[in-house]
Amino acid sequence: MEITGMTAATMSNTEVPVSSLDERIKFFQNEPQSALATQEYFVNMGPQHPSTHGVLRLVLKMDGETVREIIPVLGYVHRGMEKKAEYIGYRQQVHLTDRLDYLCALMNNWVMADAVERAMKIELNDRILTLRTIFAELQRIQSHQLWWGVFGMDLGAFTPFLYGFRDREKITAIFEDTMGARLTMNYIQPGGLMYDIHPEFPRKVKDFLKYFKPILNEYDELFTGNVIVHQRLKGIGILDGKTAISVGASGPVLRASGVSYDLRKSDPYGVYSKTQFEVPVGTTGDCWDRYIVRMQEMRESIRIVEQLIDNIPEGPTMVMKFGAKIRIPEGIYYNQMETARGILGVMLVADGTEKPYRLHFRTPNFNNLWSVISMAKGLRLADLVAILSSVDIVVPDIDR
Amino acid sequence: MSSGSNSLIQGVSLSQWVGGNAWTDTPWLAFAAVLGGTALTIGFMSLTAMVLVYAERKIAAHFQCRLGPMRVGWHGILQSIADSLKLFFKEDIVPTNTDHLLHALAPALCVMATLLALITIPLSPSISIANMNIGVLFLSAVSGLGVLGILLGGWSSNNKWSLLGAMRAGAQIISYEISMTLSILVVVLFAGSMKFSTIIESQATGWWIWRVPVVGFVAFFIFLISSTAEINRTPFDLAEGESELTAGFHTEYSGLRFAMFFLAEYINLFIASSLGAILFLGGWMPFHIGHFSTFNHLMDLIPPGIWFAMKVCGLIFLSMWIRWTFPRLRVDQLMRLEWKILLPIGLVNLAIAACLILSEYYFFVWNPL
Amino acid sequence: MHVFFRGLLSLFKGMKITWYYLVHPSTVVTQQYPENRATLKLADRVRAQLAFNYDENGFHKCTSCHICEEACPNASIHVIDRPKPAIAKNELDHFIWRLDSCTFCNLCVLVCPFQVLKMNPTFESSVFDQRLLVYNLTTYAGATGPVLMKQPDAEARNKLIEPRSVYDGPTALEGYHLAGIPPGLYEPTSTTGVPK
Repeated sequence: MEITGMTAATMSNTEVPVSSLDERIKFFQNEPQSALATQEYFVNMGPQHPSTHGVLRLVLKMDGETVREIIPVLGYVHRGMEKKAEYIGYRQQVHLTDRLDYLCALMNNWVMADAVERAMKIELNDRILTLRTIFAELQRIQSHQLWWGVFGMDLGAFTPFLYGFRDREKITAIFEDTMGARLTMNYIQPGGLMYDIHPEFPRKVKDFLKYFKPILNEYDELFTGNVIVHQRLKGIGILDGKTAISVGASGPVLRASGVSYDLRKSDPYGVYSKTQFEVPVGTTGDCWDRYIVRMQEMRESIRIVEQLIDNIPEGPTMVMKFGAKIRIPEGIYYNQMETARGILGVMLVADGTEKPYRLHFRTPNFNNLWSVISMAKGLRLADLVAILSSVDIVVPDIDR
Repeated sequence: MSSGSNSLIQGVSLSQWVGGNAWTDTPWLAFAAVLGGTALTIGFMSLTAMVLVYAERKIAAHFQCRLGPMRVGWHGILQSIADSLKLFFKEDIVPTNTDHLLHALAPALCVMATLLALITIPLSPSISIANMNIGVLFLSAVSGLGVLGILLGGWSSNNKWSLLGAMRAGAQIISYEISMTLSILVVVLFAGSMKFSTIIESQATGWWIWRVPVVGFVAFFIFLISSTAEINRTPFDLAEGESELTAGFHTEYSGLRFAMFFLAEYINLFIASSLGAILFLGGWMPFHIGHFSTFNHLMDLIPPGIWFAMKVCGLIFLSMWIRWTFPRLRVDQLMRLEWKILLPIGLVNLAIAACLILSEYYFFVWNPL
Repeated sequence: MHVFFRGLLSLFKGMKITWYYLVHPSTVVTQQYPENRATLKLADRVRAQLAFNYDENGFHKCTSCHICEEACPNASIHVIDRPKPAIAKNELDHFIWRLDSCTFCNLCVLVCPFQVLKMNPTFESSVFDQRLLVYNLTTYAGATGPVLMKQPDAEARNKLIEPRSVYDGPTALEGYHLAGIPPGLYEPTSTTGVPK
C-alpha cells in the first residue's frame, strides 16, 4: 500500500494545486502514468462531522482508508473563558465553568468553588462535602452514560445512544429537582451549595440506583458482549502508560493504560477518603480497556453513592454567604479534581481585588486529545472514530 | 429506461396471449401493456418504499423505547407521504465542480437497477410481471448494476467522503455478490431451474431451508448475511456509515435525487427479502407440517399472495431487527468475513449440495414431525 | 469454531434485549410535548424565567440597589432609577431583563438583599422576534411596598407611582407597538411582568 507504484510526483512532496479544477487536471495530466499510482490526500474531518462530537476539526492525511497523519485544528468554540474571568470576577466565573465540559458541570463548579474556598480558607461542614461528593459521582455516572450511548453510535449502533440518554434522563430529573437546571446547574457555589437538597432527593437517588444496576448488565449484554464490538475495539488504539503520561493524559484514558492515578484516591477531596471504592485500571491501553474502565467506573460510582446516600449529615448547606463580588487575598492558588474525563485544574492568580489577575484551566480533554494523535496513526478511518469516542472528547473543554 | 427493458419481457407473455407477435399484430396493445406495466411497477415500488420507511421508523422507535412518527395522521401513518412531498419540493443542490451529467445519472441508475430487479419477483402465482426462465441470473445481473449508480454518485460528487463511501460500497457489493450467488446456486441446483415460479413450485413438499437439512440452512444463513451486505444495511452500512463518512456516497445529494437513492435502498431491501422468501421459504407456498392434513388444509385456505407477503415481512423485520441492534463492522473486517469465512463455507456448501444431488439424496423429504 | 458460536450467541443476546423493548410498549419514554401539557410537571426550582415577587397589594420591595446588576455575569440585567424619586431616596423605574442573553445562573436571585427576584419554571417563552425577549419586569415605577403602605389610602399611593408595561423603557423594542409587531399580540400582563 505504501510503496507500490508511488510515482515521482507523489514521492516528492509536490503540492497538488487547489485553486481551480483546470490546474488540478493539468497537474494530474503531467504526472507520469502508472497502473498502480497511489496518492495520499488530505481530508477535513470536522468541524462539522458527526463523530467529532462538536466542532473539533482534524485534518487527516489519508492513504486510502488508512490515516497517516492527524493535525488537529482547534478554536472553533473558543469563547475566551480565561480572559473573560479577568473581567467578571470569581463568583461569576463559577457559572462559566458549567460551560467548560458541559457533561460534568457540577464537578467543574466544584473545582472553581473549591479553589476560591481554599484561597479564603473557608472550612466546609460535612453535609456540604458529602452532598458535593454524591453530586459529583452522580454526574460521573451521567457523563459515562452519555459517553456509552455516543460510543455505540460512533461504532454504528444507534440503539445504545437512546438507551444511554433514556437512563441519563433519570439523573437529570434528580438534578432538576434539587438544582433547578438540567445541564448547566451552577449549583456548587463558593461557600456551600446554592440550595438545600430537595426533600425527596435521597429516595429518588436510591430509586435510580435500584433501577440502574440491572440496566448496566443490560448494557453489557447489548453492547459489551457483542462480538462486533470486540472486533472493533480490541487491540485498537494502544496507548502505553509512558506515552499517556508524557502527553499529560488523565482520567480513564490514563488509567486504561495501566497507570493507577486517580485524584480521588491519591489526593482525596470531598469525603472520598471515607468511602470504599476501587480504581479500575486497564492493562494494554486499547479502546477496549478504556471502554471497560469507564463501565467499571460507573459501578464504582454507584458504590460510592450507595455508601453516602443513607447518612447525609445534618447542617447548613451554605457556611458563608457572599455578595455579588468575592474578594480573595493576593496569591497564586491551584486546585485540581478528577472529573469524568480526567484532571481538571484551575489556577488563580489573585491580586487582592474582586477579579482574578489571571485564571487558567488545565482541562483534561485538551491533553487527552494529543493521545489520540499518537494512537490513531496508521489505523483505519473507522478506528480513528472509535479512538476519538473512547477517549471521550468534549470540544468546548478543549477550546475553552 | 425501464420501459425498454419492460417491453422485451412484456412482449413474451403478451405474444402468448394474442397468439403471434404483439408488436406487429397489435402494436397499440403492446404499447399500452408496456406503459401500464411500467406505471404499475413504479407505483408499486413507491408504495412499498413508503410503507417500508414508515415501518422501519416505527419499529426502530419501539426498539429504542421511542414512539416514532406520531403527528401526521393516526400514529404518523401519513408521515412517509409528507416526507416524500417535502423531498419533491426541496431544492436540488448540485455542488460546484461536480460532474453534472454523472451526478444526475447516478440516482437514476440506482433506481433503474432496482426496478429491473423488481419486475422479476413473482408476488403470487397470478401476479408476476416477468416470469423469465433465467430469472435468477437476470436478477443477480441487474442487482449488480446498482453499485454502478453508487460508484458514479460518489465519484461525481467531488467530495472525498463520498468517494470513500463509493469505493467501500463497490468493494463490498462486488465481494458479497459472490457469496450471495453461491448460496442462490445451491437452491438452483436443488430446484433444477432458474425460473422463479419453478423454484417455488419445487418447494410444494417442503421449503429448501429445511428440506435438505444442513445445506439449506447454511445457504440461507450465508444468503441473509450477504444480502444484508448487498443492500448496505447495518452492520454492513459502510458505504453510508454516518459516524465515519457523514453520509457516504449520497452526502452531496438532496431533494428528489436523494429520494431516488432512498427509494432504491428500500426497494432493494424488499427485493432481497423476497428473494430469500422465494428461494428458501417457499415463496407463496403455504406452511405444511407432515401429515397433519387438517392443519395443512387450513394453511391452504390462506391465499398464496398473503403467504408470500408474510414471509417477506418476516425477513424484512429480521433485517430491521439486526440493523437496530448491531454496530458496524470495519472495512477490513468486512472483507475478511467475506473472503475468509463466507466464501469458503459457501463453496463447500455448494459442493456438498452438488454431491447430494448426484447421490440423489435430496429427494429425501425431511418432515419436522 | 467455539469462538464463532460464542460470537453468534452474543449477537442473539443483543437481539433479545431489543426484542424485549419492542414487545413492551410500556417502556416507551417519549413525551409528546404540546399534548402532555396537562401532565407535564416541572420541578418548582426550575429556572426558566426571572420574575418579581409582588405582595398582595401588587407592590415589590426593590430599592433599586443595583446589586443584581453587579452580580449578573453577562449584563443581562439593567436597573434604571427613577429620575425624580417621589418619596424614597432611590426608586425603581425600569428593571430590564434580557431573556435572550440570560444564562439562568441564579446569581441575581441569590444576592438580592430583599428577595425581590425569583425564578419561575414557566419555560414556554419562545417568540417570533428576538427583540421581544427583552423585558421590563416591574409593573410600576415607584417606591417599595413597605414605603408606599405608609401612605393613608390607595389614591395617595397611586399618585406616587406610574404604571409600567413589559416592553416599556429602553427595551430593544422601545415599546411593543413599534417595529412591525402588531399591537395586541403581546399585551403586557399586570401581575407577573411576563408576556402572555
